[in-house]
Amino acid sequence: MYVGQAIRRREDDRFLLGRGSYVEDITLDDPIAHAAFVRSPHAHAAVTRVDAARAAAMPGVLAVLTGEDWTRAGNGEAEGVWPVKDMSGADARTVNRPFICVDGTVRCVGEIVAMVVAEDRHQAQDAAEAIEVDYEEKPANTLTARALDADTPLVHPAHGTNEVLVTEHGLKEETEAALAKAHHVTEVVVPTNRVTAASIEPRCYMGHHDTVNDRYTVWTTNQAPHIVRRYFTKSLNIPEHKLRVIAPDVGGGFGMKLYHYPEEALVLWGAIVSGRPVRWVGTRSECLLGDTHARDHHTVGRMGFDAEGRILGVKFETLGAFGAYESQWNASITNAYHFTMLSLAYDIPAIHTTVRAVYTNATPVDAYRGAGRPETVYQVERLIENGAHEMGIDPLELRARNLIPPEKFPYQTAIGITYDSGDPPALVEKARALANYDALRAEQAALRAEGQWMGIGICAFFDMAGAGPVKMMNDLGAKIGCYDVASVRVHPDGRITVFAGSHSHGQGHETTWSQIAADRLGCNIEHIDLVEGDTDRVPMGIGTWGSRSLSTAGMAVYTAADRVVAKSKRMAAHMLECAPEDLDLADGEFTVKGTDRKLSFAAVANASYHSGDRPPDLEIGLEETSFFDPADCTYPSAVHLCVVLVDPETCAVTLRDYWAVDDVGTVINPMVLEGQVHGGLAQGIGQALMEECAYDPESGQYLAGTFMDYAVPHAEDVPSFGLDSHFTRALGNPLGAKGAGESGTIGAPACVCNGVIDALWHLGVRQVTQPMTPKKIWRAIEDAQRAQQ
Amino acid sequence: MERESISVTVNGRTYERAVEPRRLLSDFLRDDLRLTGTHVGCEHGVCGSCTVMMDGVTARSCLTFAVMADGAEIETIEGLGSADAMHPVQQAFWEKHGLQCGFCTPGMLMTAVELLKRNPDPSVDDIRDAISGNLCRCTGYQTIVDSIRHAAKLMREDGA
Repeated sequence: MYVGQAIRRREDDRFLLGRGSYVEDITLDDPIAHAAFVRSPHAHAAVTRVDAARAAAMPGVLAVLTGEDWTRAGNGEAEGVWPVKDMSGADARTVNRPFICVDGTVRCVGEIVAMVVAEDRHQAQDAAEAIEVDYEEKPANTLTARALDADTPLVHPAHGTNEVLVTEHGLKEETEAALAKAHHVTEVVVPTNRVTAASIEPRCYMGHHDTVNDRYTVWTTNQAPHIVRRYFTKSLNIPEHKLRVIAPDVGGGFGMKLYHYPEEALVLWGAIVSGRPVRWVGTRSECLLGDTHARDHHTVGRMGFDAEGRILGVKFETLGAFGAYESQWNASITNAYHFTMLSLAYDIPAIHTTVRAVYTNATPVDAYRGAGRPETVYQVERLIENGAHEMGIDPLELRARNLIPPEKFPYQTAIGITYDSGDPPALVEKARALANYDALRAEQAALRAEGQWMGIGICAFFDMAGAGPVKMMNDLGAKIGCYDVASVRVHPDGRITVFAGSHSHGQGHETTWSQIAADRLGCNIEHIDLVEGDTDRVPMGIGTWGSRSLSTAGMAVYTAADRVVAKSKRMAAHMLECAPEDLDLADGEFTVKGTDRKLSFAAVANASYHSGDRPPDLEIGLEETSFFDPADCTYPSAVHLCVVLVDPETCAVTLRDYWAVDDVGTVINPMVLEGQVHGGLAQGIGQALMEECAYDPESGQYLAGTFMDYAVPHAEDVPSFGLDSHFTRALGNPLGAKGAGESGTIGAPACVCNGVIDALWHLGVRQVTQPMTPKKIWRAIEDAQRAQQ
Repeated sequence: MERESISVTVNGRTYERAVEPRRLLSDFLRDDLRLTGTHVGCEHGVCGSCTVMMDGVTARSCLTFAVMADGAEIETIEGLGSADAMHPVQQAFWEKHGLQCGFCTPGMLMTAVELLKRNPDPSVDDIRDAISGNLCRCTGYQTIVDSIRHAAKLMREDGA
């Protein structure tokens, strides 16, 4: 069996030898031209003049294109993958992100106003700088918290409001009643900071128009090439069968590389206009500004407890950021992934939430690893933490009193979603043991007596992963079918190519999909190759996002492989003159049960293609495809625990220890799983302590445009992690797998922030907003001390 | 723009080329020599993906002009090892899952090689300090630290 083994990754040798093939590495027979963009330097402005005459005459310039050209060419508008609906089900006040400014107004810094295509990148950049643009600045607001204030400038005045939509979920009256009768009510303002994925590979696109065959090709740093192909039908009106989208090796995605970005449409348009292949690779500043941002929810929460610390009800009012426009999937956050998980790992009888999505003059927000759930866990867990301290109950003990007991599964939450399986108390007990929790509390008390500030952070949650089912996701708003696809092609020599609609950009599918296929097919893993990321080779696909690939594409591999086995057994049975059910397939051989009669899989494969001697109703060939629609989402769960030290002199936070206990169901490759958890934790820690897509509130200027300003965690900023697991099988797919890609980013912000609050509670500190920088912590301590005087 | 003639030895092979003075060493390696194993992640010297060895010490090829490498010996990821004979650092990263998307990997490997030349038995803190100029967004660094410790062990055993 390969499944369950920590085998080393089959894709790694090319990366280790410098032979990866990323979009920027690809060469073509025709010389590749380059694109550069003119971007708005203002948060909100009318564009009164664009003069490209000087730029067009510069050396090497092949084309200069503006919004007017876009409109004249008959190009189209963006469309949401997850369209925005309000509570009535009607379309909300949607303004999709433009590919290029076409209406004479720019609404955030970085919005594209013009494009230059030139022979090389430097010529393109030189010419872009020579384009003269006049702007008339308008008042702007970049702060989500202020979006609905009476005096806040409107991003889209035609709508008369900055509110995109309002939705309510849960049990309103029951929640009000629970809060009214509660022994204790905790209230906290819990804003989440605006962050971005900051993949180390910048976004990069290349477009090519084959005029002879009237075919188009796009190479893209993308996680879901078939979905990109679908939305080129809207941007450039190219039918799906005319376009090949290739997502080769991609250097990290984290959700951010899921969208049909403006630059992606524009490079292919530039190729069509210039008659040359055109490539654009983002500078780091363009990426930090133009990659979708994430989180940025402003929430006020109230949680009611009974005298024993049992949660009676919880109520939230949230402003959810859209930025200047609807990106493509943002409504999946505000309308689907965020509110559904509000019960976390707790048995909460009444939950109610109101989410108002809002426009601001900032970069569009969209899904980033966790997408809505880091916000959810942060807001619920910050209330639990403060509630425990206020009631004088040990924070882990209070949580333990509220966990969903294993016998209550499948468990329907008060918000309406049903978790199929899990065992939160087991996770908590493992975390308690792993961290030696009681000793930590003793250490904390001893250190506090010496004037040292140590805190213990905790959180416990469920994730909604593995989207579909198709119907369920349609009902939650998705306009795409959330299934996935795999073909298993057995070649006449018995070797196998698997084609999958997922996309690996670090996840290791070449290894894990092969592990699944090799077990089902009873073959050597070395006899399997995987193809992903090419719409001309893979029949269909929905891509890799939302911790979904294993329970959708992985299951499609599993299912297609089983169909191959079933068909090949019929051929083998014919050749061995027995019944198909009499055959075993293992180690590349069919064996008639209870005999020594054998036939190699390769011989059966060859006969499947080339022998006329076969069962009369058995079709030639040995290849099967599965479009797998899962029976349910999956619901991974986890408990995180950490130790922080806050320096009383500098207020700097040191994250000393971090433990995570995960329930991800069946594990294909424990080494890959561990890597996924580690990476997510580091990103979540970054959100808690360091990262912020900051804007100057006065001018609307972006302040985090380089890696000197946007603080991605370095090796010295994160600890070594201690992991454990407690697996319960997912019920929605035969593998029993739940998905593991997002656990770290979902839990870590809440866990670390709770740790800091726990360290500072005795000083009177009740909240410090993310990222918890030394300056903010110092300010919170000062304010608390002043308030106590 | 006027070009200058330079002579640069990369992975043991000497190249004579005429380049614009503003040409970055990273672009020279990637576009002129087609050695695309060196990656460019930020072009302002923070992420470390473009790290190469220049005359035996690591250098940010995105902060180095090609003309500054005139007469220099450059080593890139393509020169570190081969499929048949991987460098112990490459082997160790493979065994300990020290990479996911692979984009930061070439720079990370060059930095690790330099560390292990200087310090054949680095502690976890030594390693975290040494790679603090290389950003990785996938791994959370722990498996990279494990990989470099493992590489040190392999190299000590090789040397013994």
